[in-house]
Amino acid sequence: MAWLDRELGNDEMVELERHIGACSECRSRLESYKQASATFDAYCDAVLSAKTQRKRLPRWVPVLTTAAAAAITATLVLVLLRARVEPPALPPPAQVQARPSAMVLENVPAPTPAPSKTMHRPWATTPGSPRRTANWQPTERAIEISIPAESVFPPGAVPQGVNFLADLSIAADGSAEQIRLRPRLMEVPRRQP
Amino acid sequence: MSGDSLPLALPLSRLATGACEVTDLYRELREPLLRYLVCLGLSRDEAQDVVQDAFLSLHRHLASGGSRENIRGWVFRVAHNQARNRQGSYHRRFGEPLDLEIDARLDETTPERVVLEKEKLRRLGGAITLLSESERECLLLRAGGLRYREISEVLGMATSTVGDTIERAIRKLAEKCNV
Repeated sequence: MAWLDRELGNDEMVELERHIGACSECRSRLESYKQASATFDAYCDAVLSAKTQRKRLPRWVPVLTTAAAAAITATLVLVLLRARVEPPALPPPAQVQARPSAMVLENVPAPTPAPSKTMHRPWATTPGSPRRTANWQPTERAIEISIPAESVFPPGAVPQGVNFLADLSIAADGSAEQIRLRPRLMEVPRRQP
Repeated sequence: MSGDSLPLALPLSRLATGACEVTDLYRELREPLLRYLVCLGLSRDEAQDVVQDAFLSLHRHLASGGSRENIRGWVFRVAHNQARNRQGSYHRRFGEPLDLEIDARLDETTPERVVLEKEKLRRLGGAITLLSESERECLLLRAGGLRYREISEVLGMATSTVGDTIERAIRKLAEKCNV
């Protein structure tokens, strides 16, 4: 075998080659070894080939998988868009103010609701643009909180004819990031002399 | 020094040379290594993972200035050890008979030849299960193109022992299969 694999030195190779040329028994044995070696190599190739083919899937499997993935993605996109376009209905402001705990400045009408948009797309802002805090207007009236005027101002100092609009921005973790109170003058009916 | 910079322990030229050498070795040894690992009993996916890890180790070895002597044997030894870690009983799976999927490989010849080839391979598969573990490994490494000296390094045997083991294994296969 060492001669077959050329693992011997030059002198040994030459000497053995000369012997093989003269000895029919050694030639026959050498032929047998060659065949066994070649069959072993073929067996290894067959094992590799067989294991590779076991992993091969039918042609329709990737096609069907891709189609199913596309259908699921399209369904998800449609559902998400629908949820964004149609926000859940909110109670009108009058009802909120009619609650027992909602004691705001007396005789002050509810603030005018800001115009609402049908879609909310925070990703529409370009990266690097300044955050919209200076002239920010609420787009959706999701929550309305009324704070009693007596808890904010000292007794007797409750301003008349002024309403406050609070702009509250929520951080990504749900905490209050910024709150701004904007005073708004209201029309108060003049007393008759 | 700013926090963004990383200290380089090696000159860039050596890194580039090592990467090029690894790429060449990958092209040369990937297929034989894959075949060796699959024949040891690993699945195709496992074998591919082991090959990847082995060449990653080779890259680190060369990049850190490791020895380049007998580098083919080094890669096979790393892969061999990883295969041993993954498959404790791989030798039992190597001798499992080939099924009809082998037809796909032999479909270019005549039906009679396919039957004969299949029969020959089946007999050889049976004979392989009778070999000892070291005989099997020596034959597999030899089929992967390694020299006796490289095989001896992978398996931790003397070179002369490798020669004797291969000769004994081939003689057994020739006798059992009558090829």
